[in-house]
Amino acid sequence: MEPLANGILSGNRRALSKAITLVESTRSDHRQQADDLLARLMPHTGNSFRIGITGSPGVGKSTFIEAIGETIIARGQKLAVLAIDPSSARSGGSILGDKTRMESLTQNERAYIRPTPAGKTLGGVARRSFETMLLCEATGFDVVMVETVGVGQSETRVADMTDMFLLLLSPGGGDELQGIKRGIIELADLLIVNKADGTQEALAKKTASDYRNALKLLRPRHATWSPPVATCSALEGTGIADLWNSISKYRQFVENNDVHDPQRRKQMRTWMWSQISEGLIEALYKEKTMADLISKTEENVYEGRLPASTAANRLLQTFLGIEK
Amino acid sequence: MTENKNKKPSLTDWQQLATKELRGKPLSDLDRATYEDITTKPLYTSQDLEGIEHHQSLPGFEPFLRGPRATMYAGRPWTIRQYAGFSTAKDSNAFYKKNLAAGQQGLSVAFDLATHRGYDSDHPRVIGDIGAAGVAIDSVEDMKILFKDIPLDKVSVSMTMNGAVLPVMAGFIVAAQESGVAIEQLNGTLQNDILKEFMVRNTYIFPPAPSIRIVSDIIGFTAQNMPKFNPISISGYHMQEAGATAVQELAFTIADGLEYVRTAIDRGMQVDDFAPRLSFFFGIGMDFFMEIAKLRAARLLWSQLMEEKFSPKDPRSKMLRTHCQTSGVSLTASDPYNNIMRTTIEAMASVLGGTQSLHTNAFDEALALPSEFSAHIARNTQIVLQEETGITRVVDPLGGSYYVEALTNEIATKARALILEVEELGGMTKAVQEDMPKRRIEEAAALRQARIDRGEEVIVGVNKYLHDDGNEIDVLSVDNAQVREAQIERLTQIKNTRDNKACQKALNALKTGAENDANLLELSIEATRARASVGEITATLEQVFGRYKAINSTISGVYGSVYEGDEEFEKIKVEIDRFAVETGRRPRMLIVKMGQDGHDRGARVIATAYADLGFDIDIGPLFQTPAEAVRQAIENDVHMIGISSLAAGHKMLVPALMDELKQQEASDILVICGGVIPPKDHQQLLDIGVAAIYGPGTNIPKAAREMIQMIKQNATT
Repeated sequence: MEPLANGILSGNRRALSKAITLVESTRSDHRQQADDLLARLMPHTGNSFRIGITGSPGVGKSTFIEAIGETIIARGQKLAVLAIDPSSARSGGSILGDKTRMESLTQNERAYIRPTPAGKTLGGVARRSFETMLLCEATGFDVVMVETVGVGQSETRVADMTDMFLLLLSPGGGDELQGIKRGIIELADLLIVNKADGTQEALAKKTASDYRNALKLLRPRHATWSPPVATCSALEGTGIADLWNSISKYRQFVENNDVHDPQRRKQMRTWMWSQISEGLIEALYKEKTMADLISKTEENVYEGRLPASTAANRLLQTFLGIEK
Repeated sequence: MTENKNKKPSLTDWQQLATKELRGKPLSDLDRATYEDITTKPLYTSQDLEGIEHHQSLPGFEPFLRGPRATMYAGRPWTIRQYAGFSTAKDSNAFYKKNLAAGQQGLSVAFDLATHRGYDSDHPRVIGDIGAAGVAIDSVEDMKILFKDIPLDKVSVSMTMNGAVLPVMAGFIVAAQESGVAIEQLNGTLQNDILKEFMVRNTYIFPPAPSIRIVSDIIGFTAQNMPKFNPISISGYHMQEAGATAVQELAFTIADGLEYVRTAIDRGMQVDDFAPRLSFFFGIGMDFFMEIAKLRAARLLWSQLMEEKFSPKDPRSKMLRTHCQTSGVSLTASDPYNNIMRTTIEAMASVLGGTQSLHTNAFDEALALPSEFSAHIARNTQIVLQEETGITRVVDPLGGSYYVEALTNEIATKARALILEVEELGGMTKAVQEDMPKRRIEEAAALRQARIDRGEEVIVGVNKYLHDDGNEIDVLSVDNAQVREAQIERLTQIKNTRDNKACQKALNALKTGAENDANLLELSIEATRARASVGEITATLEQVFGRYKAINSTISGVYGSVYEGDEEFEKIKVEIDRFAVETGRRPRMLIVKMGQDGHDRGARVIATAYADLGFDIDIGPLFQTPAEAVRQAIENDVHMIGISSLAAGHKMLVPALMDELKQQEASDILVICGGVIPPKDHQQLLDIGVAAIYGPGTNIPKAAREMIQMIKQNATT
């Protein structure tokens, strides 16, 4: 793993890409190699500002990242974007089209974009994204963004591993307020109503004020930070510079108020636990003596012959060798 | 027959007889569902015309269903208008003159992709595109060479141009004026249909709103100064090429037309001042009666909708006149002489549908740009129809046919519903911004591709009756690099000899005009006269309008759904799942389109199909350079790059990509090519390390299996 580690530390794009593939691999020997690699790189990680971004499909996440990415790069920083794309449940394959929407970033030497298929396990994605983030830091990126489609529990995971969590919204009143889970709004450190351009501008402003009101009823993530609601047009580039200022302000806030370090420590703990749970599940699947029992129990649950909780307990007890 | 001689057999009698012939199978077994979601029956009778009135109408009168002119081909046959452009203005000029002498009545210019996208030949992004898919035009000097010794006051000129319409139209006007032809004498057609570019062809430059403004500026200018010129050709052709059904093509095209009319009226024009000069352009594929009915339904719908929405006084404002082209996607690379028959049949459908002018494709177009020989056969196809068959003797010869009239009615009804959907979204500009038409067309395309791959739709020589006699046909090849050098030389010369101050002043005026509300064609004409180039005029406008970036939502699941339960398909999916377990991830492929070729139907259908099989597919942005594509392949760490090439750019771009891979020490990434690549170029590509070439008509599941093998082998070496 030494050559790969050296490649990464010298800022080599190809090495970073190969390392990410390794981290994402489902093979256990790859897993070990990845652990080895990460152990070597750990001293060189932790230096970036980590931003999570989510929003419903069609809200303009990629266009937004492209616009704010240009601002970040213009200020002399290097940006890595990790985009998690949903995979088709049916085939397992996916179409990763993000770069088609980040044309200028894909051409910029100071940017790196890596779309990742979500695969079938959501927990796995979070673990891999976290490790990928570390790899990007070791390669020398100053800002790392993790983008997810706002469809479910992956948001919580992403919020759990970043320093700041952005929620992107479309202009449009209460319908969306209902549609987006309250839980996701609670996670956000900054809410942004995109597409504030042309005929939609007024609506976007109104939407922003609706959210401001709604936020008053929610409990903020940090007692001393009330998440602002901003508007912008990623398409036209308006409001983007202001947003970067808000983001920087938040960064100062977390760093000055002793929020940053404890949050990161907590994240390392979460990372450990997600590795444990993933490892356990994998071990369970791989245990040959369990295979029969698993498929039988699954069938029993499916046919309604066995309550799910009983089934789960029975499997766990057998696996762990606990006799009743 | 045992029936009573005096009793006329009834429909029930026929049903009984038919059921008997079917030996007990239900008659509904003979019903067929088309891609348009129309069910055809084995027999149509007068009963099917009940409640339909339009077939009682007469040609030359509203709603023009039976033809825009009273005498149609009986009076004068359709115009034979072959679309062509050969690399350089000089070669194209020679070709046009020869064709005019050989009986062609109008000429139709194909530009290269660099010109379409508003780049001069010296621009670094267009190295592989110069002169590849048509003629390269950088300035009015090129235009003058293009039309040298062609009487522009007599010959009508059709120009397929949408993105760089302003500098190209200005170049045409100035070239004519400088050769002594007055502007009002010019006749012909400019394609100028930007909305469909955002849906399917992607040769746009500016965002939708300023693009539409340019369209209406041109409509306004021609309405005042060029009474014989059609300022726009509202085109469905490219939608059909991208996989649209007849109903989609019809509906989206008419909806585009309505949007242009609305824009022009909003900019202060009177409907009757410009609507009579709007023209249309449809593609004609192999579904013979469907295509005939489509053209008839188009005239009906346009007439009705123009009346409903804008109540023009001049009946010509409601009269749909159209050009047609036989289908390019229906042509096959294997057994290519079959394409001559296909084109003939499609040409007949165009004519029976009542087109005003026609382009017939050359049989080798699935392999390369037409050669002189294939272009000759294509043109003669029309001459034979006009002069040997007697088809021209009678107006709308299928009028009153139970089937054709019922089908016309059904297409019109379905298209009207889709138009309504677009109008409810707020018109075509809005619908395009929401990506609705593009997604619908892609779904249709993926569905059709899957049915072809399964053999449910037969294509002779491709998925049935395969025939390979090993004979290769001679195709045209273009020496890109040489054309590029010559263009750059002329461009440099112009820039060195012109009055730079005057040129800059004209460009500044153009910029100010774009920021305000001036007519941009007028200002572009002045800039062109001052020898500003196509690229300079475009760059000036770009400063104000910006360059458009496509939204690119992709669909999934459509292709796979056709294979629901297919054993072979499931087997490959299992194989891919096994690959994922063995190697730790799914096979990952980057699909790239390099150069200015925006035809992405193939690339997108393939993306969907492979994702449905279980691949992880990355899609590159349109118009990538080889270096950008390689960088993306490296960043995403793909196993394989799939290059889709349809516009003859492969000769420079593929080697450039292979070189770049080498330079980046990433030659372990496999490269395959797909699209229109002449067989004689295959060896050359294989020699530089391309792993495989998949032409049109490739069976996707079969190719997927081969690709998995290649990736596995590559990993072990």
